[in-house]
Amino acid sequence: MPVSAQNPKPPAFVAPPVTPGKRGIQFIDIKKSFGPKAVLHGVSFEVKEGEVFFIIGASGVGKSVLIKHLVGLLYPDSGEIWLDGEEVSKFDEVRMGPVRKKCAMVFQHSTLFDSLTCVENIALPLRKHKNMTQKEALEEGKRFLVRVHMQDFADKYPTELGDGMRKRVAIARALSLDPRYVLFDEPTTSLDPVSARRVDRLIHELSDSTGVTSIVVSHDLTSIFSIAQRIVMLYKGHVKMLGTQDDFQRCEDGVVHQFIRGHATGPMEM
Amino acid sequence: MAAEHTETTPASEAAPDDDGGVFGTLGAAAIDLALGGRDLYSVFVRTLYYSFRGKREPRAMALQMYEIGNKSLFFLTCTMGFIGMILVYQSGLQAKRVVPDFTLLGATYLELLVRDLAASLGALMLATRVGAGIAAEIGSMVVTEQVDALRMCAADPIDFLLVPRFKASIVMTLMLIVWAGAIAFCSGAVTAYVAFDVPFATFFNAKLVDVGDVTIGLTKCIAYGAAIPIVSGYCGLSTFGGSEGVGWATTRAVVNTSLAIIMLNFFISAAGFIIFPG
Repeated sequence: MPVSAQNPKPPAFVAPPVTPGKRGIQFIDIKKSFGPKAVLHGVSFEVKEGEVFFIIGASGVGKSVLIKHLVGLLYPDSGEIWLDGEEVSKFDEVRMGPVRKKCAMVFQHSTLFDSLTCVENIALPLRKHKNMTQKEALEEGKRFLVRVHMQDFADKYPTELGDGMRKRVAIARALSLDPRYVLFDEPTTSLDPVSARRVDRLIHELSDSTGVTSIVVSHDLTSIFSIAQRIVMLYKGHVKMLGTQDDFQRCEDGVVHQFIRGHATGPMEM
Repeated sequence: MAAEHTETTPASEAAPDDDGGVFGTLGAAAIDLALGGRDLYSVFVRTLYYSFRGKREPRAMALQMYEIGNKSLFFLTCTMGFIGMILVYQSGLQAKRVVPDFTLLGATYLELLVRDLAASLGALMLATRVGAGIAAEIGSMVVTEQVDALRMCAADPIDFLLVPRFKASIVMTLMLIVWAGAIAFCSGAVTAYVAFDVPFATFFNAKLVDVGDVTIGLTKCIAYGAAIPIVSGYCGLSTFGGSEGVGWATTRAVVNTSLAIIMLNFFISAAGFIIFPG
């Protein structure tokens, strides 16, 4: 019996067609290069309202690059990004303002401003986006610090805090504008396991209690298989697989299998 | 005014990478230079816009005045003190050979200081300290995504980062250069007295300094005070890559700010000679 008949190669994943103009977020055929290096070769998928959606894949595959396109921190070479029925990928800085208010982002390294205290860090977007006075913004900021259990550190500077605490303040800053979408760029990286699970719980609660849509870029398998409702895997600039946790667990594709099992050897090319 | 997209164009993306021979390389360099000039102009215009129309942040400005002014005081005092001694000593040696008369040494030196040297040399010293600091700080913020976070907070990086430095630099450069000029003149007076027996009463002579000299000197102080944060801030904002990128941004800030000071010196001096020919 031929080898191919014994181990039939699983059919390549075919991403479902994405229709723009609906509520939620649609990435349609996004291509992006940096100089001669092509990172995204035509990525298409949809994120539905209220779900916890994970983007996974090897380092350097373009996960963070992709979510930065949504809020205009990067612009695609071609393709479209739709947010709640509006095409946002060609918006200029001024038109991006409301998009950034609606879609908050928690960066990989927290990115708190060292010259401002924790509560002032949260007050900054409130002053700029909502035109609050400094006093009002500080009051509101303290309220959000309570939400992430950081109220005792309101007047501390970020350099005085550990990674986990900084991450929680960064999450409070992102939530301060009451966004409908929150983009998390590797939220559990560099955190101890307890802090990481607390962040997971926060993301889950956010979706459950307020209906916020979370898009999480992550390598953290524990996070992925505890809170993800749907997952997309990027590989070589394309969508390799899109589905639920169960779909991924059942998937027989060698690359997907190697990634979600965390095996050092396998067909995955880095 | 609509805020423009704040991404600056990295040289590596702007220039074609393929081998196009000498003309290709020169063309790529010219395109690179033109794009850099356009971005620098955009940073300058937006800094001016936010300086007059943006929210006032007195605390941020006071902090920058301290960083730029107070922390540069000792460095500038030392360097300009020594430069003053060198200039008077060398001028005295030359004068001794040609016309052994030192009666106008102080007056000529003071005119030169007021019109040009205090501002230009002081600003070049400031460019190394302040320009490098601004570029390194902003460059680090770019590579650690803090500038992206600012944009997410609806805070334009130009308004939040550059405007306080711009205003503080204009005020403190003016004050520092007046101070540094006085130090250079006093150290020159001591040198003239010790090396050439020129009495202080003879050296402290301001009869050659006129309104034109003072106007040109003050204009240079303001222009250099504006150029240092703009050029170095632009270099910081166009940082690309990691810590190596920050290193390059810092180097480019010092080189480009020094170049800007020398070019501004030429144009302001030329305009000064036309407006105040005496």
